[in-house]
Amino acid sequence: MRIGVFICHCGSNIAATVDCPAVAEQAKGLQDVVFTTDTMYTCSEPGQNEIIEAIKEHKLDGVVVASCSPRMHEATFRRALERAGLNRYMLEMANIREHVSWIGKNKERNTVKAFELVSIAVAKLRNNNPLYANKFDVTKRVLVIGGGVAGIQAALDCADAGYQVVMVEREQSIGGKMAKIDKTFPTVDCSSCILGPKMVDVSQHENITLYALSEVEKIEGYVGNFDVQVRKKATYVNWDECTGCGACMEKCPSKKNIDKFNEGISKCTSINIPFPQAIPKKAAINPEGCLMLQKGKCGVCAKVCPTKCIDFEQKDEIITEKVGAVIAATGYDMFDHSVYKQYGAGQYPDVITSLQYERLMNASGPTGGHIIRPSDGKEPKKVVFVQCVGSRDPSVGRPYCSGFCCMYTAKQAILTKDHIPDSDSYVFYMDIRSPGKGYDEFTRRAQEQYGVQYLRGRVSMIYPKGDRYVVRGSDTLAGTQVEVEADLVVLAVGAESAKNAPALAEKMRISYDNYGFFMEAHPKLKPVETNTAGVYLAGSCVGPRDIPTSVGQGSAAAAKVMTLFSKDKLESDPQVSSVNTSRCIGCMKCATTCPFGAIKEVTDRAGNVKAEVIETVCQGCGICTVTCPQGAIQLQHFTDNQILAEVNALCQAQLDF
Amino acid sequence: MQALAELKEQIRQALPDLDVVIGWQQGYDALHTSPLFIRSEEDIDKLVVNEFCVVNPATYLREMRGGKKVGLVLKGCDSRSVIQLLQEKLLKEEDLTIFGFGCNGVLNHTKLQARFGDIGFITSLENDGTNVTVEAGDKKETVPFTELCADKCLTCSYPNTLQCSHFAGEESAKQADSATDKALEDFEKLTMEERFTFWQDQMRRCIRCYACRNACPMCVCKDHCLANSREPKWLSEDVDVQNNFMFQLIHVMHLTGRCVECGECERACPMDIPIMLLRRKMAGIVRDVFAYNAGTNAEETPPLMCFKVEEPTIEERH
Repeated sequence: MRIGVFICHCGSNIAATVDCPAVAEQAKGLQDVVFTTDTMYTCSEPGQNEIIEAIKEHKLDGVVVASCSPRMHEATFRRALERAGLNRYMLEMANIREHVSWIGKNKERNTVKAFELVSIAVAKLRNNNPLYANKFDVTKRVLVIGGGVAGIQAALDCADAGYQVVMVEREQSIGGKMAKIDKTFPTVDCSSCILGPKMVDVSQHENITLYALSEVEKIEGYVGNFDVQVRKKATYVNWDECTGCGACMEKCPSKKNIDKFNEGISKCTSINIPFPQAIPKKAAINPEGCLMLQKGKCGVCAKVCPTKCIDFEQKDEIITEKVGAVIAATGYDMFDHSVYKQYGAGQYPDVITSLQYERLMNASGPTGGHIIRPSDGKEPKKVVFVQCVGSRDPSVGRPYCSGFCCMYTAKQAILTKDHIPDSDSYVFYMDIRSPGKGYDEFTRRAQEQYGVQYLRGRVSMIYPKGDRYVVRGSDTLAGTQVEVEADLVVLAVGAESAKNAPALAEKMRISYDNYGFFMEAHPKLKPVETNTAGVYLAGSCVGPRDIPTSVGQGSAAAAKVMTLFSKDKLESDPQVSSVNTSRCIGCMKCATTCPFGAIKEVTDRAGNVKAEVIETVCQGCGICTVTCPQGAIQLQHFTDNQILAEVNALCQAQLDF
Repeated sequence: MQALAELKEQIRQALPDLDVVIGWQQGYDALHTSPLFIRSEEDIDKLVVNEFCVVNPATYLREMRGGKKVGLVLKGCDSRSVIQLLQEKLLKEEDLTIFGFGCNGVLNHTKLQARFGDIGFITSLENDGTNVTVEAGDKKETVPFTELCADKCLTCSYPNTLQCSHFAGEESAKQADSATDKALEDFEKLTMEERFTFWQDQMRRCIRCYACRNACPMCVCKDHCLANSREPKWLSEDVDVQNNFMFQLIHVMHLTGRCVECGECERACPMDIPIMLLRRKMAGIVRDVFAYNAGTNAEETPPLMCFKVEEPTIEERH
């Protein structure tokens, strides 16, 4: 073999603490190395050309680049090799920047370590083989999980591009949190007026299939070819026939169900359409409240229904869909403030959450848009807003900032003044976080034009006094304790990951953080991708996001899907496991440990059981290779022999520089 | 012996449906047994069950994979290897008939030899369960059973055959003499350097005859053992400390969460290298980490034969 070694200075990133020319010189002594050099920036155009010229001039059949992390430039150098006519897998990288120059200051020892890493790379390269990708078909349909604004945007963009979209929504209607909101900051335009048309578009679009009141049960397969099982929950109403007339709701005698859409501030009937603009506008029965389903007698809805679409026998249904990509847009949930005992632990009727307040202000809400106290229905004259409830508080396990609460609190304070001109509003805040277009101006307007009193400090306690509440907190700017008597207290609860988000992440085989938010492939450079090919993210399932960002991410995820679908065939990664059938004894331990179900049992011509890797399903994690006692299953590009060669190289005697 | 007569009767009744029943027979002298393969009625009377039935009959199962109906006479410890193989789906339950009995421990020939010199000179041996009276030449000596029994019997908590189809005689009420293995405890008192020196010395003696591997009921790779493989090539054929130790460590790694500590490897070792230390250590780690005892419940999934995002017994997130 003829190997060329290129040692990169990375400007002074590496050269400052590694003697690059000395490493290049020493590398000449390694087996099969016929050419070495050190360059200022190997990744630059002249640097890459130097590799290409060296391959041609010295007839190299393998290249080692000692530079930065392969996560940075492995793809760059692989392309350079291909331009010179070599197989891309005949490249090895030694990471002498992140692993050497950036972490140690002793130039002498760094130089030794850099050389050791180079000799490991050479030893591995000597065991490398050219690998070739296989091509496979793509199913050009996309699954969108979650019908909030991010999911709606992603679905509409994909559908407009001509691709079939399957949207799965857990609730009875799409719209998500945005459908519950009255007005949006900083423009104070009506939320349902701008979201409503998009929701209608989803229901009317010929390319979108919507499954509401449904959940993803199982996702199998791989990029381009996912098999998805959707559990369509029993609604007890035949939605093909239901016209959404609402006659059933008027007559239903069971009227004491908690109204989830209205955040529990009102009651609803057991058969219900959550709100007038619901998409799909179909009734569904809540089996826990339904007298017929619980006690076997009633059936009033079935009698009054003009289309006779009530079906008390309906069962959950599992639907199978084939898709090529998945967009997760599962959003967030509101923090449960009942852990704050000092704020009444959710027991005070007039201490409510911001989203409940949103429903009170909303014209289509239970009060028709009149702000009233839930306890006695009186109009509050003094409203106190408490920010950072379940945000920036490590004591409740929520150290992060939810990002949008500062803005919606300012909006709610402004709207309070609009609704009740003779009211006063107070806001307890920690810091005002308003980095967005027109955002800071908006919070200033709340203070300056609308006279909202901003008090910088946390609230230590809320307690009832007569029929009012005393909010006690600190004013850190004045350096005093303050007590404000309020008719209504609104807690600006933070965002937390959606319920069961970790379970869904595991179905999609993507990672999630300690709080249950999904992990991006790269927080800056790959914000809507995941580490699982073909699975993309949009909106608040990644972390708290406001509406503009969620919409932007929905479009971004859609663009990624369109990029994927722009090819008719995808290339599989050849860095997957493969079975040496003559060594395999068919114990199938590999199959039991494979997290991806990528190994199947086959029988050879002699009737012996053997393992076989499904190349497109294999993710190259290597668990099977460490499980196989005979070493019969090997991960290509990371074979036992390649790794043993690296270990042997590392254990060779040190050289003196 | 009551159990032996019952066992023979049970085997007699089951034999028509079985291809073979594996047990023990009298060996070349009174102190040894050898494996017995019962294929016909006449063979049944050759069966013996005593304190010299050291061999684990389950070791022969790997040759029988595929369709044969096999009966096995098994001690409690032996039965664990069968259960573990069932757990690994390397055996089918319907192919097996297990004849169980209560075991009161087996004797260790190396210990006998160390105490009384060449075993061939022992003229009589009486074992009443607590004491062993041995006559060798003109000497007659009574020694506690615990000083002559196999190490595994000292810590044994499975004296009765597990999950057997037939059980003969009374259950053994034998209790473990201690929960932990004294040899391993003593070894762990050594410093890391001392341990390394110890293994270097031991591995220098290893002749790589692979008797330990061939005696192991869990070594199911047959001709495809990694030790003899050129592709991938983990070991060279050189018999030196490095390669010997590498082989032993590979063997232990392949037994992680599988080894039932039957002790056959160490018993088979012609050089008397204490390789059970490595296996006991690993089995202890598996117990600590996964709360798993190999080969005790055929329904259980061995910890390294599945994939879980988070192990319930390992605290990964803090």
